[in-house]
Amino acid sequence: MCRNGMTHNPYFKEFPNKCRAGCRTFYAAARLMAMLILSVLLIAGCSRQEEHIVSVPAGENILHLFNWNNYIAPETVKRFEQSCNCKLARDYYSDNEEMLAKLAAGAIGYDLIVPTGNAMDTLIRQGVLKPLDKSLLPNLKNINPTYLNSAFDPGNKYSVPYAYTLTLLGFNQEKVKELGLPTDSWAIIFEPKYLEKIKGRVTVLDSQRELMAAALKYLGYSVNDANEEHWQQARDLILRAKPYWAAFSNTSYVKELAVGNLWVAHGYSNDMFQAALDARKTGRKFSIGYSTPKEGAVLSLDSMVLHQSGMRPDIAHQFINFMLDGKNSAELTNLIGSGNPNMNAIQFIHPEIAGNKAIFPDGELLIRLEMLQDLDRKQRRLLSRLWTEIKLRNL
Amino acid sequence: MIKDSTKANHTAKWLVSGPPLLFLLVFFVAPSIIMLFTSLRFPGEFGGLAPIAAPAEAVSGEYGLTLETYQFFFSDILYAEIFLKSFGVAAASTLICLIMAYPLALLIARSEKRFRNLMVLLVVLPFASNFLIRIYAWMIILGPESVLSHFINTVLGAFGIAPVTLLFSPFAVLVGMVYVHLPFMVLPLYTNLEKHDPALLDAAQDLGADAWQRFWRVTWPLSLPGVFSGSALVFIPVLGMFAIPDILGGTGDILVGNLIKDQFLGTRDWPFGSALSIMLTLAVLAITGLAAWFAQLATRQRSVTETE
Repeated sequence: MCRNGMTHNPYFKEFPNKCRAGCRTFYAAARLMAMLILSVLLIAGCSRQEEHIVSVPAGENILHLFNWNNYIAPETVKRFEQSCNCKLARDYYSDNEEMLAKLAAGAIGYDLIVPTGNAMDTLIRQGVLKPLDKSLLPNLKNINPTYLNSAFDPGNKYSVPYAYTLTLLGFNQEKVKELGLPTDSWAIIFEPKYLEKIKGRVTVLDSQRELMAAALKYLGYSVNDANEEHWQQARDLILRAKPYWAAFSNTSYVKELAVGNLWVAHGYSNDMFQAALDARKTGRKFSIGYSTPKEGAVLSLDSMVLHQSGMRPDIAHQFINFMLDGKNSAELTNLIGSGNPNMNAIQFIHPEIAGNKAIFPDGELLIRLEMLQDLDRKQRRLLSRLWTEIKLRNL
Repeated sequence: MIKDSTKANHTAKWLVSGPPLLFLLVFFVAPSIIMLFTSLRFPGEFGGLAPIAAPAEAVSGEYGLTLETYQFFFSDILYAEIFLKSFGVAAASTLICLIMAYPLALLIARSEKRFRNLMVLLVVLPFASNFLIRIYAWMIILGPESVLSHFINTVLGAFGIAPVTLLFSPFAVLVGMVYVHLPFMVLPLYTNLEKHDPALLDAAQDLGADAWQRFWRVTWPLSLPGVFSGSALVFIPVLGMFAIPDILGGTGDILVGNLIKDQFLGTRDWPFGSALSIMLTLAVLAITGLAAWFAQLATRQRSVTETE
């Protein structure tokens, strides 16, 4: 049930149900090995690329979907297969890097992929996507225009928004109220005057980009600001707050929030949804709330795109149009609490999710959400050094 | 005739040492060369490596080989600090493992033969469940609401000492490291201690040595090879470990393993990750080399004093 960690921290993504940080660590290590072996093969001169051809029996209608784990409701799949009289063959990935690596290693035959913004950007720049035929997508009108026309794909030549996650603040509602802490601002994880009341009960994401994004937003900059001076200001802000944090955590915060060990956590909206659900199901005396800070936050938008090697663009378009239908799109949100860019879907979403301003921010806040863009290699190296400093040093 | 036997000897030597040599060549030398090569290249735009030769349509970009990555490594004392810290943690883990494993190994080796195998089995038993699950169990044991935490803090409270948090601390990392690597210390020690001839101890006793002298002058020197191999089996894996600091560590518990992992998964900087690995390999080789040299020196001195 945990499609949590989205995007930019490729390390912690999604794993089959209930699989948390450790298991991801393990998978990440396994993937790392695979990548290294791959590079060995490349360097050793095995130029003959192995092609993972997805077998397509002749005469059958099969759509090959390459998607995140647990990122489509089972009933949606069933209904689609009935409506198109075809079969949906699914393959999964747990983070964008893994998906990119698999494609780079020569996997072909996928009709549809659901990458996050910056990974989609990579695919577009590599020239491996097929442009969409919008005449086949009448339901495209259902998508909220705010989520169209992103910097990655101006004019949505290649992509249609699928669902999104926000990076925000989750908290123990009773504790936060008792201590009189603000929950609508990043100040709660950066300002010592608030932090001293919750020392050791706060975690932040173990992700260079996500934590820097929160700090940059709090300082009033863009999440994609690459100005070194601004980065240093963000580093100092983080170092000042660090002594009060319990840990950098990408996944264990879900459980720790739900059992009451943590009072405030910086994390992904899907995870907070899960934590709130867990706390409610186990009958805790407190409840978990989450909110998107007023300064703005990171938005991770996943989109459906057509891969060049797909054999059935006709069914792929059918699928996209099907998923653009409000009811089908709402089923995913009801399952995992993901954000939904589909205006028609709102009526089918459980009211307590649809009414949640943290998942569906309105007006003013919506403008302050930003998608992370990739850094170039020099910036990546600099940020990594800054991150090492953050981990190693104290102010 | 003599010639023939030396020839056969020669072939036998190769037959015996060939497979391990081949193993080293394939699984150590070759990867190290690849790593060295990788560390000299430029990182690719989307991760991975930049091509060596510029593609025809390339307008700009950097191709070929470079020392830039090593310059970056030496440009900041930060990385040296992480190396030092990791070596410190590895040394501490090794020492604690040794102190805890030695009595256990001795106990197993000295107990009745029919119990030994069972006891060894019990030492290895934790391997039956996944390493990460066991680390997660420690999260629960050390957590703020755990029985252990409550107990320790009640005791501390009685003495008027402020409560401590066990989880997410350097202490938790050390606990995890020692816990996971303890069997790697016990097993080589046991294999060594088990082979000791009990007659030696009897002889020492007959010559008037007390229990401590029997241990310090007989058992301990004989067990040194076991101590060295156990220490190597603990020290080196701890040095590269990243999962334990990730899961049990707090905001400051980064080790060189985490840094290397980050280069591949977070930063997508393969050359820098490779450069860090190369430096780590060199450091480990230097340390094991030094240790071997000291060990040799020690045994030589001992044999000299004994002959005197």
